[in-house]
Amino acid sequence: MMELIYFALLAIASIISGFLGSLVGLGGGTFLVPIYTLYLGVPIIYATGASLISTIATSSGAGSAYVKDRITNVKIGMGLEIATSGGAIVGSLIAAWVYSHHLASIIYIVFGIVLLIQIYFQLERSKFEIPKESKPDITTKIFKLHGEYYDQALNQHVKYYGVRWWLGEIIMFGAGLISGLLGIGSGALKVLGMDWAMNLPMKVSTTTSNFMIGVTAATGSSIYWMYGYIQPIIAGITALGVLLGAFAGTKVLPGMKNKTIRYVFTFILLFLGVEMILRGLGIIR
Amino acid sequence: MIKMVEFEDVIGWTLRIGVIISAILIIFGFALILIHNGGGPYTLNQLVNPQSNVNTKTIKFSTIYSGVESLNGVDIILLGLIILIATPVLRVFIGILQFVREKDYLYTIITIIVFFNLMFAIFIIPQIIK
Repeated sequence: MMELIYFALLAIASIISGFLGSLVGLGGGTFLVPIYTLYLGVPIIYATGASLISTIATSSGAGSAYVKDRITNVKIGMGLEIATSGGAIVGSLIAAWVYSHHLASIIYIVFGIVLLIQIYFQLERSKFEIPKESKPDITTKIFKLHGEYYDQALNQHVKYYGVRWWLGEIIMFGAGLISGLLGIGSGALKVLGMDWAMNLPMKVSTTTSNFMIGVTAATGSSIYWMYGYIQPIIAGITALGVLLGAFAGTKVLPGMKNKTIRYVFTFILLFLGVEMILRGLGIIR
Repeated sequence: MIKMVEFEDVIGWTLRIGVIISAILIIFGFALILIHNGGGPYTLNQLVNPQSNVNTKTIKFSTIYSGVESLNGVDIILLGLIILIATPVLRVFIGILQFVREKDYLYTIITIIVFFNLMFAIFIIPQIIK
């Protein structure tokens, strides 16, 4: 009986995480890892392992729908994926080193800090749907950083081009590293790399980031697998739950775009972020 | 242009089928575990437990195949997870073919590098660490 209750708790927590994640455009992992470790007693290695796997599920699930829209820029995504997959290898090896030296508290603290940083992006985001004009640079030409898509909300074809490929690559290495270290998709950092550094439109950044998350997480997952961070039951139920929650989230998303909701999520991020840091410092439990 | 559309359809289907197959396997695995009150050598309590030591290190990769054949729920779930991880890998591989077809050599090379990173993480790192 205890087993069934625990199983149900994991299912509910992962559905909620997937749902919240898709509403604010973050992966399920952002909410999942804190809820699992702080409230359900899941060891952090299993929580991050399950989270990373579930990230692949949501990326592929959403990706199959995005491909039709043709907004994802596969060239830009693939080019940046060199850095993210490299970063993911380094990040997951660092995670393995940290865990094997019984320094898991570091992961809690870094996780908490990353949650708090996300708050900034939540508040600053979507100020500009289409970025300001900037001059194409040499990387625009070499790496063919351009494209166009049809924007339904604006009812127009948007032509765009990207700049500063090198800066994008540097940020993406960091995004991959965080993804491997914490077992999350680090989509917010990927969007920052494309939106801010490369001056790409928000829609292109988010859909391309979604495509990249799956590849990054697959890289990290295989290393997590080898170190035994994947507990089949926890990872299995999490992948299903987050997928289901994210799917439900995308269905209600169009009707839910007001500021109040964003502030509620910001508060949840703040709360979980502070708790993760306190846990890492050994102040709570 | 027609070729591109074809490739995008292939990619869309690859992602969709990968997720669906892995979800079906995971659900099937859970059903078997509940019916048998465990999976393979493990009891339900050993499996569904936050402190469980059943993980991808204690279960040898080479035993998963025979476990799937004997309908061991745990190994069927793991097969589902393997397929989930393999989906983006396959997607990158299709990307290589796509850029070759488009004669875009720069992006063919870039995609091969990404594919190499994946292969490095999946096959080479475990060999080095062991």
